[in-house]
Amino acid sequence: MEADVHNKSEALENDSLAPVDRLRRLRADSPTPGLVEGTEPGAGQDSAMFVHAQSFEDLTADGEQEEEVQEGGDGSERAPEVEKPRSEGEESEETQGQRGEQEREQAEEEEEEEVQSGGGRVKEEDVNSEAWRSHRKHVFVLSEAGKPIYSRYGTEEALSSTMGVMMALVSFVEAGKNIIRSIHAEGYKVVFLRKSPLVLVGVSRTRQSERELTRELLYIYYQIISLLTLTQLNHVFQIKQNYDLRRLLAGTEHLTDNLLRLLDRDPGLLLSAVTCLPLAGSLRDVISSSLQAAKAKSLVFSILLAGSRLVTLVRKKDQYLHHMDLHLLFNLVGSSSTFREGEGWTPVCLPKFNTAGFFHAHISYLEPASDLCLILVSTDLEDFFNLSDCKRRFLERLRRRSAYQALQEALQAPSYPVSQVGIPELRHFVYKSKSSGLYTSPEIPMPYQSEEEQERLMGLYKYLHSRMHHPTRPLRSIYRCAEKENLLALVTSGFELYLCFSPLGTKALAVSAINKLLKWIRKEEDRLFILSPQTY
Amino acid sequence: MSFKKESRSGKVVQNGTSKHFLERGASTNEYFDIAFKVMLLGDSAVGKTCFLVQFKDGAFLAGSFIATVGIDFRNKVVAVDNVKVKLQIWDTAGQERFRSVTHAYYRDAQALLLLYDITSKSSFDNIRAWLTEVHEYAQKDVVIMLLGNKSDMANERVIKREEGEKLAREYGVPFMETSAKTGVNVELAFLAVAKELKHRAVQQPNEPKFKIHDYIESQKEQSSCCRFL
Repeated sequence: MEADVHNKSEALENDSLAPVDRLRRLRADSPTPGLVEGTEPGAGQDSAMFVHAQSFEDLTADGEQEEEVQEGGDGSERAPEVEKPRSEGEESEETQGQRGEQEREQAEEEEEEEVQSGGGRVKEEDVNSEAWRSHRKHVFVLSEAGKPIYSRYGTEEALSSTMGVMMALVSFVEAGKNIIRSIHAEGYKVVFLRKSPLVLVGVSRTRQSERELTRELLYIYYQIISLLTLTQLNHVFQIKQNYDLRRLLAGTEHLTDNLLRLLDRDPGLLLSAVTCLPLAGSLRDVISSSLQAAKAKSLVFSILLAGSRLVTLVRKKDQYLHHMDLHLLFNLVGSSSTFREGEGWTPVCLPKFNTAGFFHAHISYLEPASDLCLILVSTDLEDFFNLSDCKRRFLERLRRRSAYQALQEALQAPSYPVSQVGIPELRHFVYKSKSSGLYTSPEIPMPYQSEEEQERLMGLYKYLHSRMHHPTRPLRSIYRCAEKENLLALVTSGFELYLCFSPLGTKALAVSAINKLLKWIRKEEDRLFILSPQTY
Repeated sequence: MSFKKESRSGKVVQNGTSKHFLERGASTNEYFDIAFKVMLLGDSAVGKTCFLVQFKDGAFLAGSFIATVGIDFRNKVVAVDNVKVKLQIWDTAGQERFRSVTHAYYRDAQALLLLYDITSKSSFDNIRAWLTEVHEYAQKDVVIMLLGNKSDMANERVIKREEGEKLAREYGVPFMETSAKTGVNVELAFLAVAKELKHRAVQQPNEPKFKIHDYIESQKEQSSCCRFL
């Protein structure tokens, strides 16, 4: 395994990244255009649509996790070293059977060679079987009374004693005025997330870092909150400590299952960002303004999706959506076929907005066979017909301005091949503009099209991500020759970039690709990003 | 009951006379004379969505169970004695956590189809609780129909038809066994409701009063196992 790290972003010639002339903006005046937050390709013109979020924000913001702050404005603090045995200072408890870091990484490497099991819910699976044990990532949710609430594989009933043991571990450590965070043993990581009144446990044999796993558990926690609100959750457990929460969560297992699949596959959830449907800027503006015009008093957010891509988002002035909440909405829409026909009307809590109350979402596809889904988020339970009318007005306006047809055509090409960028040996990349919270990525190329390979590629990105955002030794860039591909990652204050090259590429080529790619993204930013977000 | 009165109270929507029609009728471009709101109720997994899809598209949603999220709103126009009746159908989620949404829309509904699953005792036992809720939240004159769904699954039956009939008699509501899978009595259930509501809304002076019970008795198909007995 060869690795190399650059402490300075030598490849970036700043002058060439100035925005193109047609985008008359102040960003060109910045001393280091393209590198500073707010001037990078894809940065929005005005304010961003989303709550500004850093990776791992939740973990640090909640003040109950690691001590450090990553993303320091200057990269000078970042350690220029890589792939070296480290001390595991942040693992507070129960590090049994821990081997040297290198040895462990080797072991993980071997595991990666094995065939990885795909998604799909196998509920009746025997929890004593080898197949059950060999799943790459288990997730369990239990109540503080030790009652099972959710298990990714196998039935909760069959796992009640296992979950009892988990709760016992948590309580035992807590009795000593301490918190259990993780157990590392024989290539497994067991990660605990205590979010009263719930306890979430992840058991993984992937090479994901503990922080990443905790962040995934946090997503699952918020998924549950989005169904119930924290207020209701606290309430039911206050009344009855051994309440069986599955009763309230009946019929939602597939939401959690699907979210776990997204976490394995979707770079957006990793990067805390959202991707857009590539669309001519003028067309997107027409769609946004049509959606903006179709407003109602109770409307807070109007979101138009094409599959899992954002077409446009209009928000109430001064109200920002958190990408995590948007991902939960994506997950809700993506895992329920019931919205395909008719119009859905459902309470939904957006936990990063407010854990105490429900919004009411009007969810409908523009046409049953189309991928275009409109989500209207309202504060009023009784406003269904009003919102239904908003949808009708929006559609009418789209048709009148003949944008509907153009949008349908754009749907034919929901992504772009990496060859458009014109960089040889480049197979795939993910670019996130930090200030807009949007990312762009080409379609998954040939060698990664199977589910396993796609997850493997994501696994590599996840690995790079965890190295870049390491709690104590964050990196600015990393180059890594893996077995089947070469990878390069770069983080500046303005963007995050992850590149995947064929094994034939060289480091020099990869470094020169950065600039070329950034220029291409700058040229295409109008199409790939939402540059002028709208408010009502 | 005169039509005019109904219209003013906003419960019946007539072509061109109501704001609702102007908005909604135009979007579907489908002509209709009167519109009514019908709501499907019952425990989770009794087959409400399948029941609706069978009626709307004549198809059965095979495969794994997907719970409805919140409530789902669909339209279908049916002809009743040359009058085009638009049924605006609320398909509700059976889960407890959606009760607040369902409650909010009860009072809009003019008809309620209350379903249980003949292979699930608990879904049948909960019918009384559902009826209590209905009496609490729905309009006083709402049309209620009790339906025992999944009549095709004769081998797994745990609720006898007589039990359903008895319960229905007790509450004075019409009753049928239905199958969303084979389509038995599905259309009839909606048509009977449409007829009843239409007769209430526009009753001709010389027309005999429509009796939903008698209509159903004369039209309904027995479950296939009993048909030839």
